[in-house]
Amino acid sequence: MNSRWRPYFLGFLGLAAITFPFLWLQLAPDFTNDTVKVAWTPQHGFQFFSDLSLVFIVAALIWLGIQANRWSGLGQVLREHWLSRQAARHWQLYWAWVAMALVLTGPGFLNPSSLSLLTDAGIYMLLALGLNITVGMTGLLVLGYAGFYGFGAYFFALTQQNLPWFSWWLAAPLAFVFGGMAGYLLGLPCLRLRGDYLAIVTLGFAEAFRELMRNLLYDPEDTTPHSTLVRQLLVIFNTGGDQGISLNGKFGRLAGLSSDQVAYLVTALVLFLAVFLLQRLYHSPVGRAWIAIRENEVAAAAVGVPVVQMKLLAFSLSAAVAAVAGVIAGAKDGFVSPTLCEFQQSIMVLAMVILGGLGNSYGALLGAALLYLVPEYLKFLPSMIGGNPALNAIVPSFIQDSLQHLSDYRLLLFGAVMVLMMLYRPQGLLGSARRKTEMQHT
Amino acid sequence: MTADSTSTLAEILLDGVSLGAVYALVALGYTMVYGVLGMINFAHGEIFMIGMFACIYAMGTFSVFWGDHVFVNLGLGILVAMCFSAAYGYANERIAYRRLRKAHVLAPLTSAIGLSTFLQYFIFLTVSKQTVNFPRFYSDWLTSNHLHLGPVDITYLRLAILGLTLVIMAGLFYLINYTRLGIALRATAQDQFMAGLVGIPVDRIIAFTFILGSALAAVAGVMVSMYTNVLVFNAGYRMGLKAFTAAILGGIGNVPGAVLGALILGLTEALTTLKFGSQWDDVTTFVLLMLVLLLRPRGLLGERVADKV
Repeated sequence: MNSRWRPYFLGFLGLAAITFPFLWLQLAPDFTNDTVKVAWTPQHGFQFFSDLSLVFIVAALIWLGIQANRWSGLGQVLREHWLSRQAARHWQLYWAWVAMALVLTGPGFLNPSSLSLLTDAGIYMLLALGLNITVGMTGLLVLGYAGFYGFGAYFFALTQQNLPWFSWWLAAPLAFVFGGMAGYLLGLPCLRLRGDYLAIVTLGFAEAFRELMRNLLYDPEDTTPHSTLVRQLLVIFNTGGDQGISLNGKFGRLAGLSSDQVAYLVTALVLFLAVFLLQRLYHSPVGRAWIAIRENEVAAAAVGVPVVQMKLLAFSLSAAVAAVAGVIAGAKDGFVSPTLCEFQQSIMVLAMVILGGLGNSYGALLGAALLYLVPEYLKFLPSMIGGNPALNAIVPSFIQDSLQHLSDYRLLLFGAVMVLMMLYRPQGLLGSARRKTEMQHT
Repeated sequence: MTADSTSTLAEILLDGVSLGAVYALVALGYTMVYGVLGMINFAHGEIFMIGMFACIYAMGTFSVFWGDHVFVNLGLGILVAMCFSAAYGYANERIAYRRLRKAHVLAPLTSAIGLSTFLQYFIFLTVSKQTVNFPRFYSDWLTSNHLHLGPVDITYLRLAILGLTLVIMAGLFYLINYTRLGIALRATAQDQFMAGLVGIPVDRIIAFTFILGSALAAVAGVMVSMYTNVLVFNAGYRMGLKAFTAAILGGIGNVPGAVLGALILGLTEALTTLKFGSQWDDVTTFVLLMLVLLLRPRGLLGERVADKV
């Protein structure tokens, strides 16, 4: 065995050994005397790998592409050619306007289902932008970001429930303020401590918030003797438990646009505003201070950056953005439930930020678009291929199968992406060389 | 772990203590890794969950090979679960931590979260999307027999949890304080570079820390799955959150602190269940965590740790 491949080979053997039972054996409960047996089911393991076959193929292609690029130096040549430089310069000048025009005219040529998908993608983009402020710019890990998302959504839903005239355009700025305040209060005790405490505290916050929303349930037939005050409070804060709250204050029709179109346009405008303001902020003294904290907290403090205040600012700003995203999501779906603040949501947004490029707003947008839209559109592919006889003949059946099941594997792949990105490309897809050195050496 | 509303206060307290004992087993893994590396081992909760599943897989395999023998299969099952969890813990260290040890704090943290998500959904996709029940055949003897001690009834399972935890704690105490390995461990925790200079194999010591913590988590996993009778792919996430809270409560990096914190947390939870119902557990845990961070951020027994530059 070539000594270079030896560790990989051993690692592979080890992983095969420890995953063996879960992949190739199945539990078979024996109900006669309530014991358990395992059954040898190789088809189960093969199914797992064939479902992932598409991922392996794409990964192999990417790897080949990287190798080919490294070997031929094509990317370097292209990047340095005067035409592409010229294009890049013009692109920098005009792209924002082009993108804006394209996005804003979207309702004209998109069908309702695409519009709704894109609106959801926009909400995720907003979340990724917000999380990028803490994780990307300031270097603070937040694991319970969905808690603030849920906070915004429930803030809107509960006020709506009690004050029917309360509408989304009133709720969004207020959610921004209150979300920021919630972030401030939560950050106050733990931002003075080491960074990883914040990760856990926010995680705990999201979990506790979700449980709170699940349990604040007013049941008219409940006979527990509560005082009138408690009863009143329960009625006001009735979140409907797991069922959630249905809202009347959805995005309505406006100036001849359907409510889907209004939702889409509002999301797009908020997104543009957020990108613009955040870009300005990142290039201001505040942004510089955040970067300094991210790069070396002690050194930043030594040169006079008010570390705790700056961290608090970053954290509450990011919470505020999430709360606004929550209001938009609530007003779009007309429905708010505890699933909004599940841990999976936080992980998904985190994976978006990491994939796109920590500390880069456009990276966050790209990551959100990739991780939300690709799996969603992959769902449509199998029926498209199945409906077309030519494609049906060409594409092997295991790949069609793989496409069908891939959305189940989404979170598994997110986890793998997070690990691999940290090991091989810590700066993300759109990261800079500077960020790479930062992540690899302290 | 729910309590009957009719049970006496003593039983509730006992419930809390045994719950705390389980938390302690998991919290030790967090606190030891933190002590040595200064990093939170985020995938630890999932190692606990792997231990749960490895145990029933092992018991199922043995029962195919030589039939249903309660104690043989259960005992060997726990051992196999410990080995499996240890292997996963080692893999976790090799994949998510070793190469990133010198990197920015965010990097190993993120990769460990990625690994924990991966493991959760790996089990979700390959083992079961729903909950799996622990086979009663194996847990019946432990859960249905009682020891009468004055006013309280203790199930054998609870006795086993308490006894096992005590034995493990004693063993760990001895290991850390009186063996060469323990000295090497403490030296590595103090200063990795200097420990390396005096000939301590730092990499192996760190790997050993992960392996030890993971094996303890597996024991906790088997105990919890017998107690609650339910195995589910995301059990580790909640357990991890609780155990981590316990570790912070006692002062993270401090071994006796983790045990103390776990006992306090267990008791608090048992009392919450009695007073408000078990659905408020998580809220109480979180409030407790916030209070500790506000009032005594280094935990009850924690020392002041300077930030590493």
